[in-house]
Amino acid sequence: MSEKTNVKLPFFGVPKILPYTKKYRKRIISMVVMGIIASLIDSIFPLFNRYAIDHFIGEQTLDTIGIFVILFLLVLAVQVILNYISLYWAGKTEMDVDRDLRDASFNHLQELSFAYFNQNNVGYIHARVMSDTGKIGELVAWRLMDIVWNGSYLLFVFAVMLGINAHLTMYIAVLVPIAVVAVSYFQKHLVTLNRRIREINSKITGNFNEGITGAKSIKTLVVEETIGNDFKKDTIDMHRTSVHATRYSAFFSATWTMMSSIALALILWQGGRLNLEGVLQIGTLSVFMSYALGMMEPITMIIETIAALIAIQVNIERFTRLMETESDVADRPEVIEKYGDTFNPKKENWEPLEGDVEFRDVSFMYPDGNEMVLEHFDLTVPKGTNVAIVGETGAGKSTLVNLVCRFFEPTEGQVLIDGRDARDRSQLWLHSNIGYVLQTPHLFSGTVRDNLRYGKPDASDEEILAALKLVSADFVLAKMDKGLDSEVGEGGDLLSTGEKQLLSFARAILADPRILVLDEATASIDTLTEKAIQDAIATVIKGRTSFVIAHRLSTIVDADVILVVKDGKIIERGTHRELMRRKGYYYDLYTRQYEEMVVNAVTA
Amino acid sequence: MPEQKFKTKASLLLYFLKGAKRWFALAVFFAAMVSVTDLINPKIIGYTIDTILNGLPSSLPAFVNVRLEELGGAAFFRDHLVYVAIAVLIVALLSAFCRFMFRLCNSIAAETLVQRMRNNLFDHILRLPFKWHSENRTGDIIQRCTSDVEQIKMFLAEQLVMLIRSIMLILLALVFMSSISGPLTALSFSFIPIIIGYSFYFHRKIGAQFRIVDEEEGKLSSIAQENLTGVRVVRAFGREKYERERFEKQNHYYTDLWIRLLQLMAAFWSTGDIFSYGQYLAVILFGSYLCVTNQLTAGNYIAFVSYNTMLTWPVRGLGRVIANMSKAGISVDRLRYIMNSEEEKDVPNAVTPDMHADINFDHVSFAYENGSAEILNDISLTVKAGSTVGILGGTGSGKSTLMYLLDKLYDVPEGCGTITVGGVDIRTIKTSWLRQNIGMVLQEPYLFSRTLSENIRIARQSSDMKDVRNAAHIASLDDAIDHFSEGYDTYVGERGVTLSGGQKQRTAIAQMLIRKPPVMIFDDSLSAVDAETDAKIRAALKENVGDATVILIAHRITTLMNADQIIVMDQGRIVERGDHEKLLAQNGIYRRIYDLQMQQSNIEEEVDHE
Repeated sequence: MSEKTNVKLPFFGVPKILPYTKKYRKRIISMVVMGIIASLIDSIFPLFNRYAIDHFIGEQTLDTIGIFVILFLLVLAVQVILNYISLYWAGKTEMDVDRDLRDASFNHLQELSFAYFNQNNVGYIHARVMSDTGKIGELVAWRLMDIVWNGSYLLFVFAVMLGINAHLTMYIAVLVPIAVVAVSYFQKHLVTLNRRIREINSKITGNFNEGITGAKSIKTLVVEETIGNDFKKDTIDMHRTSVHATRYSAFFSATWTMMSSIALALILWQGGRLNLEGVLQIGTLSVFMSYALGMMEPITMIIETIAALIAIQVNIERFTRLMETESDVADRPEVIEKYGDTFNPKKENWEPLEGDVEFRDVSFMYPDGNEMVLEHFDLTVPKGTNVAIVGETGAGKSTLVNLVCRFFEPTEGQVLIDGRDARDRSQLWLHSNIGYVLQTPHLFSGTVRDNLRYGKPDASDEEILAALKLVSADFVLAKMDKGLDSEVGEGGDLLSTGEKQLLSFARAILADPRILVLDEATASIDTLTEKAIQDAIATVIKGRTSFVIAHRLSTIVDADVILVVKDGKIIERGTHRELMRRKGYYYDLYTRQYEEMVVNAVTA
Repeated sequence: MPEQKFKTKASLLLYFLKGAKRWFALAVFFAAMVSVTDLINPKIIGYTIDTILNGLPSSLPAFVNVRLEELGGAAFFRDHLVYVAIAVLIVALLSAFCRFMFRLCNSIAAETLVQRMRNNLFDHILRLPFKWHSENRTGDIIQRCTSDVEQIKMFLAEQLVMLIRSIMLILLALVFMSSISGPLTALSFSFIPIIIGYSFYFHRKIGAQFRIVDEEEGKLSSIAQENLTGVRVVRAFGREKYERERFEKQNHYYTDLWIRLLQLMAAFWSTGDIFSYGQYLAVILFGSYLCVTNQLTAGNYIAFVSYNTMLTWPVRGLGRVIANMSKAGISVDRLRYIMNSEEEKDVPNAVTPDMHADINFDHVSFAYENGSAEILNDISLTVKAGSTVGILGGTGSGKSTLMYLLDKLYDVPEGCGTITVGGVDIRTIKTSWLRQNIGMVLQEPYLFSRTLSENIRIARQSSDMKDVRNAAHIASLDDAIDHFSEGYDTYVGERGVTLSGGQKQRTAIAQMLIRKPPVMIFDDSLSAVDAETDAKIRAALKENVGDATVILIAHRITTLMNADQIIVMDQGRIVERGDHEKLLAQNGIYRRIYDLQMQQSNIEEEVDHE
């Protein structure tokens, strides 16, 4: 994927996320300070052993053993407490920042316009909210602490060693840059290989998904062999890449062992000489050996942290890009002043909506498109008018609906609601007065009641039942064991498409909107139920301004005005009779469906 | 219940381990070598300090001492300390080599295992009967094939190997340490059960907590998912504020759970230090005492302390490994469920008859599960070779099921009637042969993550671009394809462009046409196509199906009315049959549906009247 190309942000992008850490600054600072002290203590522990060797063993006395034990336990107690607090705080900070970032991104998404949702798929946006935020939280807490712990540990160890014996320390110091170069070399290769492994892995998961959800197609097409063989190619690739990556990491861990051993050899050799010369005590020699053996890990950790920082830049970049995306459908400040924003509406200032809609000299181009789909379009829809939009699948029938709902705004010209530009009042005001039924109905997990109340949170059970009855959906409810309290499942999955359609229809009715938008279902409902829906539609659009993306003739025939869409553009408009008389595209579209029938009926 | 292929967890693991076992054995061998080499260095240190630097007698085994004396003993090394360094480096090289080999063998073993698991699972799943697929949830199966496979890999390649490594290290250290000092070893090892026990107890405890947090994360994730997929609904109803509150509530709840879990973990990690450092202190104190009372030399003391330090992390990790091992057991059982499900099987000596023949349903009845409501009830129907049959019926009338039975997606139970092709019972026909000869276009077809042209020719790899274009043309798909910037090379499916329902159906029609099967079934496969395209496709099909037997399932009467025979199904029974005219004359269900669908013709008349 192209987004994986290397992103380079100044200071790894950290400045971009500083605002989100502001609330926790005090905690982060104390956590860093405690981490430093904990590292200091860690580096002190070998000194107890040194004292034991030089004093107890070297001088053959146990005189100070009481103080020794007390001191040891004291330091240990401090260590335990500091570790507990810094671990807990780091974890808490991570989770707090995660939560804030998730809230912020989710809230931001609620205000972004449809252009954003059209250009980015749900999986992609979902990952911004759920996974990028986690990575950033990890950076703020654990990556920071990793650097603090390991960096200060290394510094202290070197300070202690220098304090004990500068000469011997120099030998070890020489090894550090060599280790850094070696570790970075492997790290770089590993990062690339691991990315590759993740890619193959998601491909394999995709394959499983395909093999399972596509089972019916695979069987009816008899392509088990083809699909199975392709799968094997991916698993072979995975095997090869993984083992290849291990070669690096194994070589890396071997090198790491070697480096520690070289340090050890140097100390034994040079330290032993110094001891023979009487300059260095045995306890000190032993301390040096434990430091030498314990030094490689912090070095590795620091380099791994830097590698992680580089990787996290992508997450930071994607997250900030989301946060910096501005909605191209936004209410003007003075509109917000009067009507309130999405989250804090000032309903007391809202005028009632009558339902007059007018397109005045509207030209429109989709933000990601390169062609005007509407040019100088005029249409007056007095309140209570039924507008039908017809055309082939994929012809662009939703465009007008998108403009009426202000999901998009005209590139030029105006959409007027009750005689005033739609932009003069808030989006929420408009949306609160619109009912919308999608062709692919969408329900939310929760009960039937929760779902039906979606457009009218305070609806009573009686109102809900009445709405269900109106659209002949009462039989759906009768089938469910807990009535209105029955769960519909994630996305309404426990119901059939037809049932979902009926419920979403009742949901729209319940809100009693002045403007109703319907994207008619094609053929997911059996004929008799569908007839019931058709009747219900006729009932509810009465007295409301309605825009129906129509597939059914009964809807179209009765419409006050029909707009015929082809290749994204409106090519004809008028009533059914007018259009039939014109004998244009609409007439063709129409008669073709019946031609055959009529011919056969006559010739039979 | 048929006999299970894998009766025990071990039998499945052993089956998966085929080919990986020797690599695991090698990995364990090298792991042992790593431990041995790691344990040598403290000995060298001890010798250097005691014998070379302090002039005490060597405590190394006699056979080593003999060699060292040959070289000149302590006096020689005192002048040539560099040899000690070289000895350390030689051991280090050996250790590094063993470490490398261990990691490599272990990785090859693990990857071989995973590859075998995945390939076996995938092949098996592809060959499981469709009934199995419809009874099991997709998400659950995918999870088994991904997380559970991963879990088992972790168990064998990391946990089990680490367990073996740790135990070997502990045992070897026990040997080395007790050769230095029995009492000190006893003291040090008395801590080990406590440390392991504490870690085990803790990991058991948070394991349960982790599952709860995972579940809550799942809920949070689906709230976001629903909000995003339902963005139109949210906006159209102006419910952004409600959505925000819903998300925030779950987000905060989930975060609080995590923080509580982290608190537990922080407590565990920090208190764990008490035991480890307690052990360290005990060893220092008792060791010093032993030195002071001349029961231990300084060099040996230092060696002992290094051994002790070496044990700290393996021991602390051991509790975690043991606590997590039970998870793998669950995973194995979850995979065993898949692997024990029975694949589709042909009867012995299955036949491959000519499929251009009469298809006969003879008193076929069917229920999806024993005892549940019958989906099909006593269906008898003959489809003449080369004729066209239309099936009309409401949702749940059983019309699709009838076709699934013909294609052996479900088996007709013994005693519930038979389906024959040219007089041959389909139970005795080779399944792949049967399906290859029956082209079925599903109502909701599935497109594979490939290009359009690859999708169209997937079931007939030998077809060339001309065939693909031709099939696409008949299915009225070519116009749509021309609109894609990459044309036939457009990537579709999960990782590509999303096609509309109608485009998918048309692709599936092309997919079938290219095979030119003698039997073609259209299972409501024009439902998502608008009336105009529907008519266009039907016209094109009429010219291209040749002498194939065609079965058309539809809701739309215009789609069916030209069929040689039309049957109307209701609640699993055939309630009306005949051709269009006959059915109209019957004044039954067909007529009613026809009238409802054709109401629009009134308008036509109105127009005519004007």
